[in-house]
Amino acid sequence: MTRSTQLAMEPPAPPADAPEEEGVQAAPSASGRNRHLAAMAESFLYALAGMALLLVLWWLGGRLVESNPRMFAFADFAPGPTFARLFEMLGSGEAAEMTAPSLYRVGFGLAWAVAVGVPMGILIGWFGPVGKLTNIPFQFLRMISPLSWMPIAVMAFTTWDGAIVFLIGIAAVWPVLFSTAAGLKRVDPSWFKVARNLGARPWHMLFTIILPAISQDILTGVRLALGVAWIVLVPAEYLGVTSGLGYSINDARDTLEYDRLAATVVIIGIIGFGLDFLCQRAIARLSWHRED
Amino acid sequence: MKGAHIKATGISHTYRRGATKALDGIDLEIQPGEAIALIGRSGCGKSTLLHILSGLSQASEGTVYVDGALVTGPSPSRVMMFQAPSLYPWMTVEQNVAVGLKFNGRMREAKTRVPEMLELVELGSYAKRNVQDLSGGQQQRVALARSLVLNPQILFLDEPLSALDAFTRHALQRDIRRIAAEMGITLVLVTHDINEAVMMADRALVMKANPGRFSAEVAIPIEGDRAPSSHEFAIAKAALVEAYEGAAGLTMAETAAPDRLTSATDPAPARVRAIK
Repeated sequence: MTRSTQLAMEPPAPPADAPEEEGVQAAPSASGRNRHLAAMAESFLYALAGMALLLVLWWLGGRLVESNPRMFAFADFAPGPTFARLFEMLGSGEAAEMTAPSLYRVGFGLAWAVAVGVPMGILIGWFGPVGKLTNIPFQFLRMISPLSWMPIAVMAFTTWDGAIVFLIGIAAVWPVLFSTAAGLKRVDPSWFKVARNLGARPWHMLFTIILPAISQDILTGVRLALGVAWIVLVPAEYLGVTSGLGYSINDARDTLEYDRLAATVVIIGIIGFGLDFLCQRAIARLSWHRED
Repeated sequence: MKGAHIKATGISHTYRRGATKALDGIDLEIQPGEAIALIGRSGCGKSTLLHILSGLSQASEGTVYVDGALVTGPSPSRVMMFQAPSLYPWMTVEQNVAVGLKFNGRMREAKTRVPEMLELVELGSYAKRNVQDLSGGQQQRVALARSLVLNPQILFLDEPLSALDAFTRHALQRDIRRIAAEMGITLVLVTHDINEAVMMADRALVMKANPGRFSAEVAIPIEGDRAPSSHEFAIAKAALVEAYEGAAGLTMAETAAPDRLTSATDPAPARVRAIK
């Protein structure tokens, strides 16, 4: 902390013979910007170092596996073969081909989760009795692993895709629903009183006051839901379908292509990370909350 | 548009979990364009009474008529300002001011009406700013502009200035009184601040608690701008302090009446009338 501040403070320091007033005026904004840049550079370096450390551990693990005669067959899990295969898969379009169906399923699952979770969350947050009535049943349902719905989903839906979208949706709906309801309960009641006094109709209340007021809570719920959905996606794709990232992992295991398996794992990680990052940026962008 | 006439009869109110009556048999009549202060200590029911007059709350018993029409709910023609400005932080200053027009399908007027209101509260150059960048006093000015944009007949003030510093508060007290007078709006103010009541009201109704009732009525007939340093102000304040002490059943520190009041030969402009 102190080091970065010192670094940041150095450049904008006014020359000794500069008029004092000017220095006083110029220093805060310039040093503020520099400090911000320095902090960003610092966190970027940390991120880079962390990823490098992870790679080193992976590489060490690969070497251990390789040198162990009983595990020699799994040597392709090491970074070298994995990245070679990954670039091959990226070049051939195989990576995009396996990702597209997965993104489609997660997208639809999340869309359903939002379509059900947000209105339900608003009902729960707005009408006290609805909240009290649904609290225990929803807490109960929430704790059931989404994957345990799998047999029911397979029976209930005519397509495998439908079943997978359902499983993702039922996993993702809870964070959206609870986050929406909690956000609405935290809203300053005087905002509603003012709106009511100024003649707001119910749809004004919903679209002009409630939704903007809780937009950040909804997006935070979506971000959590995305994390859950991305986790549920892979095991859900183990079932039935012949496309997607989960299928590719299973397929690679069956054909003993461990470099392809590892490369798919890397793809899952990168896309998951990227989607979460996008969510985070969207939240920061749409937020009206001030940090201080 | 001219201010509205308010007539409340037999207002009693008991909160759902309250043992005693928050309000007990209140009768009140306010003339169009009049400025009234409901003053009393915390818990005397003054804010409850204000909510009932505005229609934001319903009394357990009694009726409120505004210009002869029974009040059954809130209306944009009777606007309340609260202690917190309660501006919408995701909107700019002008969007906040225009929100009432939006709710009433009158956004066509926003182009002329919003700048007009912002000029009135002296925030003309702040239209595009986010309300979170404004000071507390500026935020209450935006809230005032938002309240006035629909041309209300009555403005209810629920201690909207109590969180502001003395200087800002004083400026707003004067401005609100001036604006209400210019627009002919009936002003009903709730406060526990005697200076504020003398600054803003034509008439103060002192309330006492358990149950909430009026204990005295003080007329504050000061013409024109009100300066706390003026003789008339001191007289009105002394009368109100006396009534306030009577209601509270105790004596306030630092309120000894100035000598000139007791020796004054001119007729006292402030008159106290006890309400039984």
